[in-house]
Amino acid sequence: MKLSKIGLSLFTGAALLAASVQPAFAGEQKTKPILGIPKSSLDDFGGAAGVHAWVESLFYYIMLDNRISHIFREFGNVERQIALNTQLEQMVLGGAVEYQGASMSAAHADLGITMTQFNAVVEAAYNACERNNIPYKTCNHLIAALAPFTRVIVTR
Amino acid sequence: MNGSQGSKLRLWSCAAILGATAAMHSGVASAQYNDGKVFLTGGVFTVDGAGGGGAVPWATITGYETRDGINGGVGYTYANLPALQLNVFGGAIGFYDRFELSYATHKLSLNLSNLDTVALLDEILGLGLGTDPWNSTLQMDVYGAKLRLFGDAVYTSDSWIPQVAIGGLYKENTTGELVRTLGASKTKDWEAYLAATKVFFPLSTLVNFTVRYTSANQIGLTGFGECSADGCTNDKEFRFEASIAHLLSKNTAIGFEYQQHGGNLDGKSVSLAGGGLPLEGLTDLLGPLLPGVQTALTQEKESDWMDVFFAYAPNKNLSFVIAYLMLGNISVAQDQNGFYMSMHATF
Ligand code: HEM
Repeated sequence: MKLSKIGLSLFTGAALLAASVQPAFAGEQKTKPILGIPKSSLDDFGGAAGVHAWVESLFYYIMLDNRISHIFREFGNVERQIALNTQLEQMVLGGAVEYQGASMSAAHADLGITMTQFNAVVEAAYNACERNNIPYKTCNHLIAALAPFTRVIVTR
Repeated sequence: MNGSQGSKLRLWSCAAILGATAAMHSGVASAQYNDGKVFLTGGVFTVDGAGGGGAVPWATITGYETRDGINGGVGYTYANLPALQLNVFGGAIGFYDRFELSYATHKLSLNLSNLDTVALLDEILGLGLGTDPWNSTLQMDVYGAKLRLFGDAVYTSDSWIPQVAIGGLYKENTTGELVRTLGASKTKDWEAYLAATKVFFPLSTLVNFTVRYTSANQIGLTGFGECSADGCTNDKEFRFEASIAHLLSKNTAIGFEYQQHGGNLDGKSVSLAGGGLPLEGLTDLLGPLLPGVQTALTQEKESDWMDVFFAYAPNKNLSFVIAYLMLGNISVAQDQNGFYMSMHATF
């Protein structure tokens, strides 16, 4: 990887999110699901606007879920997370978008997230798909693309 | 009939499972209670009691618990085939998405006119075949345990490694006379299996392969191994099973199952008095009276089991499976295709 590119992303990240603390190390790689992600996935999600709407719904359902909402109230920053997740989800679906947040391991390392809490977020993800009329099959491409992060996000 | 002791034991096991699950529900073990698994990923209630599809146990651990706790449920299955009706009741508990204990009890009513004829003879001659002129019933209890070895069926979408588990089942057929009349060697035996399960999200499909080491005839409902004039054998062999479930939505699936069966009892005549008195002699006697008795009482080649199913879980506490079974030849009956319904209540 080019150092200059990392530097640039750090710089733009800092500029965009001036108020927030800088992550330990920036960037997250696209995952590599064994069956790939179809080229049309991002379009099927409604492009950048569709992904953004989906992420907003995701956080709507997360904040309604008593099993996990307290974690986000205490440690999260929903506005920042909506912005960064919109980037990340576009990236894993194959969009030419740069993700400017922390790596998944750095962002979640100290939260002690359990499998049960992770699954609660997955349930919110499916609810968000339903709410936004994204077909189940299309939704599963995003789930496949995000699933490998389980390894570093679930630490308990 | 000396079944009263057996049925008492069965009642106790049912009560124990109901009690355990109820206790979990009412919060006695609330610190460990957990229902965090994603929809349908614990499988449903198999006829063996273990978590899986309809007949095939999967590598997933039963119930909706994650590695953080305990969950479980009770199930009821009914299958209606032309010559038989099967009722299965049982329950299973999953511990930390790692270990599973299960129990199932089977009642299989055979309404076969040719067997009923033998039963009439049995009654007249007092042979003690375990048959009943109205409806012969086979009963079996199944105790199971399963241990998840490695892998994650659901979330490792970037790896081909499936979730893998080993399991053991102890099956106890409590209708020994009838099982021996049908030519089996043993009424009680164990089976072991190795299962591999993986969810392919981009295809919205779950795939499972299972290898079972067993000598069962019709999953043990007609006993284990075989007896003939040369004596009895009970040789276990590896048999192959598979399930494919395609998810139409997060709580609805359609799919197909296959279960290889053995051929221990193929071509055997239903024998009187546990093989000591083969039917051939009697049919010579009866031949002129009842033409075709001999062929009517020769057991067909045991078919592999297949089914297509539809599963629906309205919520995490309940799932329904409706299936069309293609079980082929069962004992002396051919073309046993029919309806299957199963309910699984999880707590
Ligand atoms: C695949 C699933 C997940 C993805 C893709 C994801 C994505 C993200 C992203 C992009 C951020 C922002 C990182 C940054 O601030 O630079 C973040 C932060 C956070 N996530 Fe997740 N997350 C996932 C699962 C979870 C789960 C299961 C929980 C808790 C139940 C959780 C709780 C949080 C919290 C509290 C933060 C804020 C951390 C902080 O600002 O220090 N996340 N996540």
